[in-house]
Amino acid sequence: MGDGDGAAGLVLAGGRSSRMGTSKAALEWHGSTLLYRATALLARTVPGPVLVVASPDQELPDLPAGVEVVEDPVEGVGPMQGIATGLTALDGRAAAAFVCSTDMPFLHPAFVRRVLAGLAGPGTDVALPFARGFRQPLAAGYRTGLAPLITSLIAQGRSRPGMLYEHCTVARLEDADLLADPDVARLDPALDSVVNVNEPADYAEARRREPAPVQVQCFGALAGAGRRGPRTLHVATLGSAAAAVGLELDRHVVAALNGDRITRDPGLPLVAGDGVAFLSADAGG
Amino acid sequence: MVAGGYFGRALVVDVGGSTATGTALELDDRVLRGYLGGVGLGTWLLHRLAPPGTDPLAPAAPLAFVFSPLVGTPLTTSAKFAVVARSPLTGLLTDALASSRFAIAGKLTGHDAIVVRGRADELSVVLVDADGVRLEPCPELAGLPAADAETALTARFGRGWNSAAIGPAGERGVRFATISHDGRHAGRGGLGAVLGAKNLKAVLVRAGTKAAVADAPAVLAAARDLRERSFGPATKKYRELGTLANLLAFNAVSTLPTRNFTAATFDGAHRLAAEELHELRGVARNSCASCSIGCEHIYSRKGGGSQRMEYENVFALGPMCGVSDPDDVFAASARCDELGIDTISAGGTIAWAMECAERGLLDAPWLRFGDGAALLRALDLIGSRSGVGELLAQGSRHAAGVVGGGSIDFAPQVKGLELPGYEPRTLQAMALGLAVNSRGADHNRSGAYEADLSGELDRLDGGDPHVAAAVATEDRAAVMDSMILCKFLRGVFTEPFDEWAALLRPVTGWDVDADELRATARRIVLAKRVFNLRAGATAADDTLPARMLRTPLQLASGRAATLTATTLQAMVDGYYRARGLDAAGRPDPAALPDLLLPDPHPADPQPADPA
Repeated sequence: MGDGDGAAGLVLAGGRSSRMGTSKAALEWHGSTLLYRATALLARTVPGPVLVVASPDQELPDLPAGVEVVEDPVEGVGPMQGIATGLTALDGRAAAAFVCSTDMPFLHPAFVRRVLAGLAGPGTDVALPFARGFRQPLAAGYRTGLAPLITSLIAQGRSRPGMLYEHCTVARLEDADLLADPDVARLDPALDSVVNVNEPADYAEARRREPAPVQVQCFGALAGAGRRGPRTLHVATLGSAAAAVGLELDRHVVAALNGDRITRDPGLPLVAGDGVAFLSADAGG
Repeated sequence: MVAGGYFGRALVVDVGGSTATGTALELDDRVLRGYLGGVGLGTWLLHRLAPPGTDPLAPAAPLAFVFSPLVGTPLTTSAKFAVVARSPLTGLLTDALASSRFAIAGKLTGHDAIVVRGRADELSVVLVDADGVRLEPCPELAGLPAADAETALTARFGRGWNSAAIGPAGERGVRFATISHDGRHAGRGGLGAVLGAKNLKAVLVRAGTKAAVADAPAVLAAARDLRERSFGPATKKYRELGTLANLLAFNAVSTLPTRNFTAATFDGAHRLAAEELHELRGVARNSCASCSIGCEHIYSRKGGGSQRMEYENVFALGPMCGVSDPDDVFAASARCDELGIDTISAGGTIAWAMECAERGLLDAPWLRFGDGAALLRALDLIGSRSGVGELLAQGSRHAAGVVGGGSIDFAPQVKGLELPGYEPRTLQAMALGLAVNSRGADHNRSGAYEADLSGELDRLDGGDPHVAAAVATEDRAAVMDSMILCKFLRGVFTEPFDEWAALLRPVTGWDVDADELRATARRIVLAKRVFNLRAGATAADDTLPARMLRTPLQLASGRAATLTATTLQAMVDGYYRARGLDAAGRPDPAALPDLLLPDPHPADPQPADPA
């Protein structure tokens, strides 16, 4: 597995959010929500499907087009249950998945790709970062074939992540391993990807952070009114970038992210190193 | 009774010796309603009048100038005409549109189309007005650019006459020669060579009657409304910068064909960008006749003069040939206009030749990517059909057949027509549109790039959504090109088929609705395909150059743009299914009666034997 080829994305949205006191999935994030950001970020990063694992009857905020929701049949067992549910749902659709929680607002695609590349070793089942001093089971890569094993372990009452790792091949990714990737070193040097927000104070602090710098350029007729040439903006979403240059993402405007994906999703997460090109949707001649 | 906006007849002009005679061909309401006009009616006329197996440059090959019910109404952008014939470049049906007063004057000769056949003994012009047809010799016009010929013809015959003329390339049979009037070209497929093969420098028309519409006040109201909407955001791009605005944007999304499709971004793009040129050059805007958009942007040239620049000619003569000096590209565009050749085919063929020369396949060591002087020299040789120009005047497919060495794999053509400025590997709905279109590699009869650039599908991962998009845009183009409206208006329509039906009703008096127009679109697309099948086309022609299918493009994002033969074939198969075609791209025989074609043809698919 290299560069996320064939990999899916799995976001665990269940859990009680007891320390936060409110659903973390629905917390506002620069005009979007934490869950929208997590799912849309994975959708722009991995080639496979992106799934949200939710508690039964959990009310979820809006999700990006194409993101699927699977309900976890069992509540209160912990994250391994959610991972098992998600990996089971991916059986036959993806060889592996990057698994994360909903509350990681600084997750960067370069980090995701580096972790998934950790599954490339022969027989590797889990690519597990040990970043910023902690093991990160919810910012890790898992083979989808692990689902029966996890389910079996949970049935035995062995539902902690460490109990899984005793039974499979784990590629341990230290800070140095992660930062050896030039993209991670350049775009996420503090490994903020693994920062999560558990309490209102965490959230408030994260929300106060200035968004990462993004290169924005308008083209063609959109480049009038002083919008000509590239500029650096600190914006968290495509909608914020459009607003910052005085554009509305209506049917006459589209954006190209890093010269590749074309979109007009205002909730699309932007991250450090991104380039956004705003184009007239009335392309052609 | 003839429907509003029509005369119910075409004029068939037979040229022979030093005379021309005109014969009326009645067009009944079923045919007019079934094909509308423009490229649709032109297709029907070619079925009706083109003898099977006729060489496109033979005297018997018909060349049709076709108008539409909207021509002459106050509806914006409606002063357009189609020129339809069998292409000397592809051997298949080709149709090209141009906008000018020729459309209005031509229709007001009292005909829905004028079809020319035969050959004059000496270089001549055909004149058509309400009084009839005549042939006038014009040997003094030999070798003149079309614009100069128009000026001379106006001086000779009077200001009431409008002429569609060819340049020297058309006279000399360059297979991608154009026909033009008032600086607007019916550009693709070599229609100028067809006219030249008839020893005709021009066709002149003069208005002499009027075309009644069914409900004039309603047409006027619709025209006011459409004109108002034409000033909105959907046409802003065309008004402010013109189509050249595509260049820098396409470069930003890796879809600017560069150095014969070896790359999709061009280092020198900024030098050729509309945004840059607008600041550095004097620029004037102009409109086609009866148009409120005003997309033409005319730039001043160093050393005097001016040149209209569009995305397609800048792409083809700039990045495609690796040329970044705007003055070289301006000069090359001007040279194409003077010679009367299609800039896309010229640039594509020369870019192919540059690659051949650099690979040692072609003995023209002076021909190198990035060399503006070499580009101009090659254009002159094509125009005069001398030296390597004799080979290049046949187009890249034919030339690759002569040169060999695997050069057909990178000849930038489909069915013999050179590719426009849309990279198929990064626009995979468009890849399908380019592969299956009846005209060959074409961006005007298939606008599937719209879907690729809409964000509604992954443009690098062709599949079922891309098939649906290619079919839908081809259908929309079939109606717009037949009724005829400029495609730069397409963004102002939110429910296009309903809105187009609403425009046609007061003009024609028909109770036409959106569903009928959708069926009309399918009929036109299918009729073109049937013509091509009769002309020898097969499913093997519905493909792209091998280079596109073997060599991925690396994007700055890290993703590779890969279009495999398997992916393309799956989309082609999906297209066939969506069009009701069999695995060989042939229609169900049961669908043929709906095409209202004049006669069954031996090459038509036959019903299965019930036994």
